[in-house]
Amino acid sequence: MKHSAAANPAKGKKDSIFELVTNVVGGDKLVLIAAIVVVFIVFTSINKNFLSWTNVINLFVAASLVGLVAIGHTYLIIAGQNDLSPGSLAAMSGVLAALLVSWGVPLWISVIITLVVGAGVGLFNAWMVNTIKLEAFIATLVTQSIVRGVAYILCGGKPVAISDPVFIYLGKVRFLRIPLSVWITILSVVFFGFILAKTKFGRSIYAIGGNKDAARLAGLNPQRIVAICFVMMGVLCGIGGIIFAARMNSGQPAANVNLEFDAITAVILGGVSFTGGVGSMGGTVLGIILIQAFNTGLIMVNVPTFWQYVARGALLLFALTSDYLRKRNRTRELLAASMKNA
Amino acid sequence: MGNVLEFQHISKYFPGVKALHDICFKAYSGEVLAFLGENGAGKSTLLKVLNGDYQPEEGNYLLNGEEKHFRTPHEAIEAGISVIYQERQILLELSVAENIYLGRMPTKRAGIIDIRKANAMAQRIIDDFGLQIKPTTKVKDLSIAYQQMVEIMKAYSRDNLKVICFDEPTASLSDSEIESLFAIIKKLKSEDKIILYVSHRMNEIQQITDKAAIFKDGCYVDTVATGKVPESMMIKMMVGRDLGDIYANLDRDKDIGDVLLDVQGVSSDFVKENSFQLHAGEILGFSGLVGAGRTELMRAIIGADKLRTGRILLGGKELVNKSPKDAMRNGIVLVPEDRKLQGILANLSVSGNINISLLDQNANRFGILSTKKEAAAAAQGIRDFHIKTPDAEKKIVELSGGNQQKCIVARWLATNPKVLILDEPTKGIDVGAKAEFYQMICTFAKRGLGVILISSELPEVIGLSDRIIVMKSLRIVDEVSRGEATEDRLLSLGMIGEKAE
Repeated sequence: MKHSAAANPAKGKKDSIFELVTNVVGGDKLVLIAAIVVVFIVFTSINKNFLSWTNVINLFVAASLVGLVAIGHTYLIIAGQNDLSPGSLAAMSGVLAALLVSWGVPLWISVIITLVVGAGVGLFNAWMVNTIKLEAFIATLVTQSIVRGVAYILCGGKPVAISDPVFIYLGKVRFLRIPLSVWITILSVVFFGFILAKTKFGRSIYAIGGNKDAARLAGLNPQRIVAICFVMMGVLCGIGGIIFAARMNSGQPAANVNLEFDAITAVILGGVSFTGGVGSMGGTVLGIILIQAFNTGLIMVNVPTFWQYVARGALLLFALTSDYLRKRNRTRELLAASMKNA
Repeated sequence: MGNVLEFQHISKYFPGVKALHDICFKAYSGEVLAFLGENGAGKSTLLKVLNGDYQPEEGNYLLNGEEKHFRTPHEAIEAGISVIYQERQILLELSVAENIYLGRMPTKRAGIIDIRKANAMAQRIIDDFGLQIKPTTKVKDLSIAYQQMVEIMKAYSRDNLKVICFDEPTASLSDSEIESLFAIIKKLKSEDKIILYVSHRMNEIQQITDKAAIFKDGCYVDTVATGKVPESMMIKMMVGRDLGDIYANLDRDKDIGDVLLDVQGVSSDFVKENSFQLHAGEILGFSGLVGAGRTELMRAIIGADKLRTGRILLGGKELVNKSPKDAMRNGIVLVPEDRKLQGILANLSVSGNINISLLDQNANRFGILSTKKEAAAAAQGIRDFHIKTPDAEKKIVELSGGNQQKCIVARWLATNPKVLILDEPTKGIDVGAKAEFYQMICTFAKRGLGVILISSELPEVIGLSDRIIVMKSLRIVDEVSRGEATEDRLLSLGMIGEKAE
């Protein structure tokens, strides 16, 4: 696990790249890195443009929204929860921000209102899970539908064009040749990765995901921690939705369908366990890169759209299977260790 | 024709625990064989290996000389091996006959169930057993004892039944119900079944079993004839040493101080109004049957369940514990009963587990945890509690049960509590670790802590406590001083609620 690995200072500072990598992402992630390399090699051999600077940047731009949501999923799934509403919420956030700006509300106030609404939706999810004790899967399915509906209602079903030059600029501006959206995701990954690995709050997430009852008796407040995670996810979706709208020059109510699907696949690929309590931000980053390379690659080598759905399903199945196998191996290792001790 | 069941070198491991080690013995039909041993000695585990619920890592078992291997309990039942558990395994909404023939109801042509035939067949078994119930009655309308009978009949209704195992069958039965259960067991015995009987109750074992296979810490010790070997001898074989010595050797030289904790009329949704006092330096035992409300009373005190009525005073000051966290800040901590479900955080390391209640102390004002402080607290816990682990970053589940429990106690002691509540602290840990624990508990009290000890093991409560409170049916019924406490007295108070004459 990330935080326990982090607590161990690098053993014997031999600076081989291999050890550097294992120390940063954890030894069990080497398979994932290998998978990414394989995906890049396969798609590049079919289409040489796959590894071009433009394409790689496009790939990261596309990954930036999935990435923000995957950060939220990393927290929620480690805490033993889940969220199916991000796709709808990102779309509604884009529509809402575009609409507010078109009504003449200053951009920064529109952004704040949108993020507050996102936080509110997160709070609503937390309320359903904590107070009326719904399974997160079902509770957020409710939100997914309601929020998508609200997105359509707000704009009457038609995309809201953005004419504000600053808003449009947000979708285009680059620092050091890298678009703003990618920077936001990178900084978020670093920031939330640090919180998860090094802080009291991060440790509490692992504790409640591992054993909620024990964590409560040990003096933690699982409901509050779960609520913060949902609210955080809401805000991340808000940010992602606004940036996405800026890139598209419009708020689109039908956008980002299946966003959560890709994010969850990325998180599980990255080693977060569906049973909760296990995973790291480093793994999630690799998961995001893998799934976006996979998705972009499928488009670039002209796999028909309908088959892309099948392929994505297969990838999620692969992720879940590897989650199962990891769990089984952990149990086996434990068993072997006890047999040796006995 | 007699049946023989033979276990050959059975070993079963769980993460961190050696549950069964090289078990070899035989059981014969026409006799009732008791499985005797302390909690965690491996009796129930062996039954689960036998009926296919668990797969052994090593060894095998033979029924009438034929090697058996069941992947599921269903396969074991098909082969004539049934286990009757404490918890009922029947469907409450179905009738007696439907339960008995579940999954193999007699049918007419086209697969339609022949309910009449089923009822008639069930009636024959009921008559055989000499019971006064109807095959058409829904099982939920029967008493617990009759529900258990239905389960036994379900096993009995199979023509090939060879082995029937009872896992603590009398736990929730009254005396007369136990009598009728024993009558049935005698009948099964006369029909040449192999009968395995797991129980903690010595007098029952004397009454119904012919032989006893004795287990200790996952190992098979010996089989003895129940009638011929004295009880004290069997207990000695179970524990491997005289527990009396352990208690006698404890360092109990300490002073009991003023009233520390004053609980006045506390009740919750799960426990009635109760009052008691705990002194500094005192070990206060809580005795009673399972379900008497001991755990529930403690949960109300620490705010794990909502307080309905009552006040809690610590050192004369009234406390409000809305959550276990409040209680911890106020200096009252509870080491919960179920280590696996409520104690350990299986995904965290030894250090993570010890430090989980110290997050506030270990973090700076930005919430960033200090690796140094965590390492120091973990090292201290490991040293003070003699936790056997190669290093603090080892996953807690890789340790033995006793060492896991030490981590949990270390977690709580690190918060510097004034009152330490231990709920069944030695459940499922081996005797050596138990003795260590007992000494630790005495040391805590000596340091001036108030210790509340909930335990269902009577010798443990009597051996450790300065005073013992007995609960029955969600209420405190009486209080017994150390000198007056005997197992008989505590048992009769716990079961009948009156003072034994």
